Order: sequence, then C-alpha cells, then structure tokens
Amino acid sequence: MNYIFHIIIIINIYIILTVSTNLLVGMANLISLAQAAFYGFGAYLGVLALMILKLPMIPTIFFVMFFTALLSLIIAFPSLRLKGDYFILATLGFQLIVFTILYNWVSVTRGPYGIPGIPAPKLIGIIPISGIIPFLILSSILAGFVIFIFYKLVHSPFGRVLKGLRDDEIAVKSLGRNVTKYKILTFAISSAFIGIAGFIYASYVTYIDPTSFNLDEAIFILAAVLIGGTGNIKGPVVGAVFVVILPELLRFVGFPDSIAANLRQIVYGLALIILMRYRPQGIAGEYKLQ
Amino acid sequence: MLLQLLVNGLIIGSIYSIVALGYALIYNTTRIFHIAYASIYMFSSYMLLSFYRNLNIPFIISFIIAIGLTILLSILIEILVYRPLNKKRSSLNVIMISSIGVMIIIINMIAIFYGNETKILNPNISKSISIGNIIITYTQLAQFIVSLILIFIFLIFLKYTKFGIKTRAMRDDSILCKVFGMDINRMRLMFFMLSAFFAAVGSGLVAYDVGMDPYVGMPMLLIAVVALIIGGVGRFEAPILGGFIIGILQSLAVWAFSSRWQDAVTFILLILFLLLRPQGLLGEKKRAV
Repeated sequence: MNYIFHIIIIINIYIILTVSTNLLVGMANLISLAQAAFYGFGAYLGVLALMILKLPMIPTIFFVMFFTALLSLIIAFPSLRLKGDYFILATLGFQLIVFTILYNWVSVTRGPYGIPGIPAPKLIGIIPISGIIPFLILSSILAGFVIFIFYKLVHSPFGRVLKGLRDDEIAVKSLGRNVTKYKILTFAISSAFIGIAGFIYASYVTYIDPTSFNLDEAIFILAAVLIGGTGNIKGPVVGAVFVVILPELLRFVGFPDSIAANLRQIVYGLALIILMRYRPQGIAGEYKLQ
Repeated sequence: MLLQLLVNGLIIGSIYSIVALGYALIYNTTRIFHIAYASIYMFSSYMLLSFYRNLNIPFIISFIIAIGLTILLSILIEILVYRPLNKKRSSLNVIMISSIGVMIIIINMIAIFYGNETKILNPNISKSISIGNIIITYTQLAQFIVSLILIFIFLIFLKYTKFGIKTRAMRDDSILCKVFGMDINRMRLMFFMLSAFFAAVGSGLVAYDVGMDPYVGMPMLLIAVVALIIGGVGRFEAPILGGFIIGILQSLAVWAFSSRWQDAVTFILLILFLLLRPQGLLGEKKRAV
C-alpha cells in the first residue's frame, strides 16, 4: 500500500510541475528548458527555510514561492526580449549555469555531496509532517490547490490575454496590451508554483543533490507536458500520470532494472516523435504546438 | 603554464570548430534546432569503438566505417523524422521537440548495448613532442591538423563550387531556391550527410584522446550552438571563429578559476551574447527570427 501512496505523491509533485510548465508552453507559447532550475531553486530554498530560518510550513511555502519567482525574473527580463530559438537557448544556458552553481559552490550547497537530513515541515509550528500518509495528504492538497489556481487563471481575463498572445502576438499588441509585462508575469507565476514542487520533493525525500535538477530533468518535465498535452489543465495532468506510471508498468512486465531505466526513456522519446507527427496537441491537450 | 593552456585551448578549439561547423550546416540552411546532433556525435565514437577495439580492424579503416555509419544515421533521421514534418509544414518548435525525442532514443539504445560507463578507445599514453616548454601529444597534433585541413577545404568548397553556391543560396532563402527549381530535399540530404561527417570526425578524434560515454554528445552540442551564436548565425565562418574562442576561453577559465567552472564560462558567454549582440561577432545587424 505504501508503494501506491509513494507513487501518488510523486504523481502529485509532477502534476504541480507540468501544470505550471503548461502555463508557459501551452498558454504563452514559451518553450522553457529551465524548469528544472526553478524546481531546484524551490528545493534548495525550502531547505534554507526549514533548516536555517526554521520557519513553519505555511510561511516556508510562501517564502519558497516568493523567492523562486524573484530568481526567475533574473532570466525572465532578458530572455523574454528574445524570440523562438533564442529564447529556448537562453533558458537552456540559464539551466546549465544554475546546475553548475549548485554543483560547484560546495561551501553553500554542499555540491555533489547533497544535503541530507532535511527536517519535517511543521504545521502551525508544532505538528511535524513526516511519514507517507501526511505527505500524501499534503501533496494532494497542494496539487489540488495548484490545479485550482491554474484553472481559475486559464479562465480569467489574464488567461484569455495569454491565449491571444500565443495565437497572435501582434494582434494582442495592437489592442494595447503590454506583451512583455504579461510574459514576465507568466514566467514568475509559473516559477513560483514550480518552487512548491521543489519544496515538497525536498521535504519528502529528506535529501537533495544537484543531479535531481539537471538538464535531463528539464527535458523530462517538458516531455511530460508535451506528451500529456498543452493548453488546458487535463493535458498536463495526464502527462504527469503517464510519465510516473509508465516505468512502474515496465517494472511489472519484468524488464531487468538495468535496462528498464533506459527503456522507459526510449518510450518517452518515441512518444514525443509520434505525438509531434500525428498529434501535436499531445494526448489530452487542446493547443497544437506552434 | 599559460602558454601551454593557450595551445591546448587552440587545439580543442579546432575540434569545437568542425563540430560547430557541422551543426551550422543544418541550422543555417534548414533552421532546425537539431538537438539529435548530440546523439549523432556520440554514435560515431561508439561505432569506432566497435570496429577498432572489439573487432580489431585497423584504426583508419574503422574510422572510415564509423563515419559512413554515422552519415547513414543522419540520413535516416532526416528521411524518417524531419522530412515528413517538413512536408506537413510543422513549426520549428515541433521539429525541435521531435529532435529531442530522437536524441533520447539513440542515447538510450547505445546505453543499453554498451553500458553507461566510460569506454576507452586508446589505452596507451600518446607519444608527445615538446617545443620549448610546450608539450603536444601526437593525438592533439592529429586533431589540430585534421581539423584545419577540413575547415580549409570546406571554406574553399563553399566559395568556389556549385554546391557551395547552392548552400549559400539555401541559407539566404530556401523558398526562393525552390522557386528556382532546386531539389530542396536532395540539398537537405547533402547537408545532413556533410554535417554528420564533421561530427563523426570530431567525435572520433576526441574519443581517441579521452574516451567516451553515452552522454558526451550534449556538452559538445551545447558548445557547437554557443560557437554558432557568438560567431553569428547565418555565416559559415562564424562557428569556426566561435569554436576557437570557446576553446581558448575554457582554457583561460582553467587557468583563472578551476576546470569546474569551464561550463559556466561558456554559458555566461552565451547569455551575454544573446543579450548584447544577438547577431554574433560576424553577423549583420538584422536578427533572423
């Protein structure tokens, strides 16, 4: 049973990641390869809040969201002036720089040794949340909260402007909207919620190291979103469930562990190629990638 | 010490140059963000390993077979993945994502067959010559000379042959080329072959020096992309210049900080160029989007 709970917690983390990334990819047509960097910011900031500042849980979440969003502005301001490939490249460069810093700045992040023994976040400062059931509840509540927020966002005037932006940027500009402002806001909101995923991951696993937040992870998050589908809420949720459940299924079919890891990557790769060819909106999405 | 590092930078820069040139051949003409290039680069090293180490075929012959197989792989990617998407008029983002898919598949196939660990191509220590205080191994010498010859031949081809003129025409306007009755698909095939050739040569020369693992392609691809950007997208001399600049700067980074910050230097350079001079060193003011 604990096994199933564990999988649900991981699915919840990925739902937060994919739903937030969808805001960029599916709503604003900004393909970002820096998502793992913000995921990492969330995790390391969460650790900072829990271990050094000793904040209770709810302030920690707000702390993580605020500072991840703030750090995302470092890349948002310059790169949003760029278009197409150049934007992707800038986010890619940012992702690699963040990873190099997390990995090599040993005196602050402990680099490749990682940070063990992350304490349990305390609800209202007293009740510690640790163990699988409390995390199941916590992650489900947060994933539900993120889905709710993004559902509201997609159907709000803000969401409609974003959809307009994605379909025809010049038209939106001609209606007097500040396109850059909207893009920066989108970037910050998306990063803030990705930070939450990092926080849950860090406090659930109680150990983090930079390799969980490398370029492969960034590609993986993007793949999850694109496989599931973009432009609505259903798509990214399907994507998160798919990418987490698939390796478990492969394990049940009986592939040896040494091959299973590579094999599931091959399945993701194939899924990407086939979907891009025949169904660019993904399994359950509504927006065809442009 | 500094002089030795500069020479090393120049030599590795020459390798970066030809790999970046291969990437630029695709990017400048088709505008595909060809991420699968990383796996093409890696694939060649492993083919060389199979024939040279496992089947004990002489190095030169193994190298030629490996290059041939790599070119075949590149052609297959174009025909099976890119061409159908191009026919459907898919956007460049869609093609890029497919390219990521191709890369993931090839890397993991290789990892399944050969394992994830580092493989060595040449177990012996390469002989070296010393000029004054500078020591250069024969492998490095081969890297430098082969790269320079290839760059030289390519630039002459580009300038004086019909194929070179067509290549430059494709770069300027591929739709117009179609209007003038050029066989675009055949041209694209040529680019994919030539680019795989450059990747394969660079990959083999590096693998002979330091060995390989299934993930060597990505850092090399990133260097190729950065070389293209800082040189200037749209010019074929640009990746050559960019490659040498990165090689030398990385060596200087080793000298000034430590080898751990090599990558950071490369990508900070990328971000600076994207912000301050997106057209690159040799590019014109107009930015292609």
